[in-house]
Amino acid sequence: MSDKLKDIIGKQSEQQNVAIDQLDDVAQLVGFIIGEEEYAVPILAIQEIIKPFPWTRVPQVPSYVLGVFNLRGAVIPLIDLRAKFGLQTKKHSEETRFIVMRHGDDVAGFVIDRLTMAIRIKKTNIGPAPDTVNGDDTIIDGVGKQEDKIITILKVNKLLERDF
Amino acid sequence: MDEFQEILQDFLVESFELVEKLDEDLVELENNPEDLELLNGIFRVAHTVKGASSFLNFDVLTHLTHHMEDVLNKARHGELIISPDIMDVILESIDLMKALLETIRDTSSDAGIDVAACVARLDKISGGTGEVKSPEVAAAPEPVVEEAPQEEDEPDYDNMDPDEVEAEIERLLQERQAEDKARREAKLAAGEKVLSAPPEPIEEGEASSGSTPPPPPPPPPPPVAPKKPSPEPKKEDPKAAAPAKRTPAAVEQTIRVDVKRLDHLMNLIGELVLAKNRLIKINDDVEERYEGEEFLEELNQVVSIVSLVTTDLQIAVMKTRMLPIGKVFNKFPRMIRDLSRELDKKIELEISGEETELDKSIVEEIGDPLVHIIRNSCDHGVETPSERIAKGKPETGIIALKAYNEGNQIVIQIDDDGKGLDVEMLKNKSLEKGIITEKEADNMSDKEAFGLIFKPGFSTAATVTNVSGRGVGMDVVKTNIEKLNGMIDIDSEIGAGTSMKLKIPLTLAIIQALLVGVQEEYYAIPLASVLETVRISTDEIYTVEGKSVMRLREEVLSLVHIGDIFEVERILDGGEHAYVVVLGLGTSKLGLIVDTLVGQEEIVIKSLGDYLKGIEGVAGATIRGDGGVTLIVDVVALMQMARDVKATPMIESQAASGVTEKTKASDYTIMIVDDSKTDRMIMRKALEPMGVTLVEANDGQEALNILKSGDHNFDAMLIDIEMPRMDGYSLASEIKKYNKYKNLPLIAVTSRTGKSDRMRGVESGMVEYITKPYSSDYLSSVVQRNVNFKAEFL
Repeated sequence: MSDKLKDIIGKQSEQQNVAIDQLDDVAQLVGFIIGEEEYAVPILAIQEIIKPFPWTRVPQVPSYVLGVFNLRGAVIPLIDLRAKFGLQTKKHSEETRFIVMRHGDDVAGFVIDRLTMAIRIKKTNIGPAPDTVNGDDTIIDGVGKQEDKIITILKVNKLLERDF
Repeated sequence: MDEFQEILQDFLVESFELVEKLDEDLVELENNPEDLELLNGIFRVAHTVKGASSFLNFDVLTHLTHHMEDVLNKARHGELIISPDIMDVILESIDLMKALLETIRDTSSDAGIDVAACVARLDKISGGTGEVKSPEVAAAPEPVVEEAPQEEDEPDYDNMDPDEVEAEIERLLQERQAEDKARREAKLAAGEKVLSAPPEPIEEGEASSGSTPPPPPPPPPPPVAPKKPSPEPKKEDPKAAAPAKRTPAAVEQTIRVDVKRLDHLMNLIGELVLAKNRLIKINDDVEERYEGEEFLEELNQVVSIVSLVTTDLQIAVMKTRMLPIGKVFNKFPRMIRDLSRELDKKIELEISGEETELDKSIVEEIGDPLVHIIRNSCDHGVETPSERIAKGKPETGIIALKAYNEGNQIVIQIDDDGKGLDVEMLKNKSLEKGIITEKEADNMSDKEAFGLIFKPGFSTAATVTNVSGRGVGMDVVKTNIEKLNGMIDIDSEIGAGTSMKLKIPLTLAIIQALLVGVQEEYYAIPLASVLETVRISTDEIYTVEGKSVMRLREEVLSLVHIGDIFEVERILDGGEHAYVVVLGLGTSKLGLIVDTLVGQEEIVIKSLGDYLKGIEGVAGATIRGDGGVTLIVDVVALMQMARDVKATPMIESQAASGVTEKTKASDYTIMIVDDSKTDRMIMRKALEPMGVTLVEANDGQEALNILKSGDHNFDAMLIDIEMPRMDGYSLASEIKKYNKYKNLPLIAVTSRTGKSDRMRGVESGMVEYITKPYSSDYLSSVVQRNVNFKAEFL
């Protein structure tokens, strides 16, 4: 009896290993560069990625809020992640993109320097945020380890939270 | 359980509708206690609610309505005359009924409200002892009962056997039929009064309100009683009869629609309006480019049809959201009645225009401000009867509530014939409370003084009564109206009365706006707040105590630059002229200085969303025809902000830009603008020996973009005149608009040699004019001279 059970469990885990790519313990992320660092957000939080286009400045907001833009009839705030992360702002280049992220009813566009790629990463390879930045306030969800580099995974709900 | 919920919902909707009507009817009844038609209507409401609530097991409500019904039934049979005291009890019971219904709506049960005292009083009136059994015993759910009208001494059904019940029902039905017959005859005798009068109850009330002291004799039958079909047949089922009573003979076909669906529809229309604006803009562009082409006419037709239909559609959808303002006015007769008894004044309310329609969301918002204003009129406006007689006015004060359309707005007017506002008293009060200064008081017009009652912390009543006068009312009224983009206008004459006009836009979602430009940005100002626009020259602006002002006809108008409010960077030179948009809110005015006026446009208000909500001075955003986003100015907030903004001089002192120390020849940067590659090459060859950095542009547009991008700090520009897209003259005048480039040397390099060409060059801001062909030495020396080229780099 117990042998049989072990057998089944063994088979199941084998299957899991085979199907690891489409199961729950894989996180699908989209990576992008801001400054020197690579960051990522869950792919499901991304509504779309668009090329930069004109926006309208909004007064009385922190400098990292560039303003609002028109996304097919909806007025959406535009946030410059370089400025938000305390980096020098730089002019938009050919590689600059707006990532429109959604969490619940909150939507905003984020300016990033460059996209890298869609990433599949095992959840076991994602570590918690470093102790120094732990706590509820942190914008960092965790740190994903890949062969040659580490990627900082951001919390979309924190990014979309108004903090001024 | 779901079925029960459904029934409950229907019951609540129906009951609230009935109750709403009830207040009005009851007050009218007091003036006109013998109006059987009214009495029957009221009775039926009580009866309907009672029937349904007993079916749904709401014992407390059943108990209450049962006793109300008793009293009303007696009145109906003429056994009881409705005196003001009795009316007080009836009204109290209706309030309780409302409270119970609300409790049921919120908690699905009618527990928690004590009706015993009221029931006892009701019982006393209907001739009982005042000792009433508790609801548990009094009203067991017995659906059969509601089929029959209740007689005053109702037998105890609980103790009857089925046969007895049957017999009792039979007896009651017969009684009821006889009663109906009698009623019909009575009505015929009354000259079919109901038929000759329109179905609106108010007008009946107005007709009879002329003869004030109740009870007036029933109006004499009109000389020629029209032989029309008899009034709505009285149905046995009171449920059906009650709502039918007020509807006109031809029953309107209606359908209940969830408000959410209408809101969604309205949003879609908003999108359509935006798309229409965009289409019109594209049409204009195409027209310009392909002037005289045949297909243009066709395009024009299509665009105008689309725009026409969109406008019609928008109006049609707006209409579906419209509600008659009567829905709000309904509660006022009752309120006035209660107030006049409380204050010991005689006040009559005249309502007109209650069929005027307003957007649902506005109807919901407008109620509270109106309550405040009317309370104020009753408390502070209308005098006591003795005072009025002493002044030679009729004893009864009149408050007139009017609604009517005026252009794109609805006007709600509240007039009283009371003592009016005393300007001096208002000023003294405000001085005392420190709301205004002595100087301000002296310079104040009467209108401005009336506006003082809307200031926070102002209360005119010498004694604070519990009706009004805690000094919070009127400024809340003002903010609420302004939230709806509305305005309050106030007018008053001492001894004659006060008149307030609330002007409110028909709808909230789509508004007319004035688009203004400042520097490179655009803003939309709701047109309802714009009084006028004027063009002034900058020397008409004076600075007084750090604030800008101007003289506008007889008045001094304080000014504020829109750029100071919205932190706009001054990159463009303002020029000698500016436009002032005069904003008006109630009695206060403000001049908003803008650089350009773009025009009037219909805009759809969009929220900025949670992330950016609450930005001071911004009411929302809209999407323009070109797809860009334009912010909508919140005029109310802007007026507040203007107080704290210090005026900045119109032309800012020239900021030292690009005056970095040149340490080598390549620190000098020069742009070459020419559409011919050969010409650019020739210039390059001439300048390269100097070792300066050279940037090339193909035409004016490209040159401007390079300049704006700020990648280089140019020391001079060589500009050809004849170029595609943007020629040299336009380029030069565009560049000169920027403060930053005021001193940038522009050198024309052209084959045009005419004198007028040279003149144009100078006018557009060129400093040198080189005609082709030229020697490279000459070009080089001209450039060196203009950029202060240091000799040691050569």
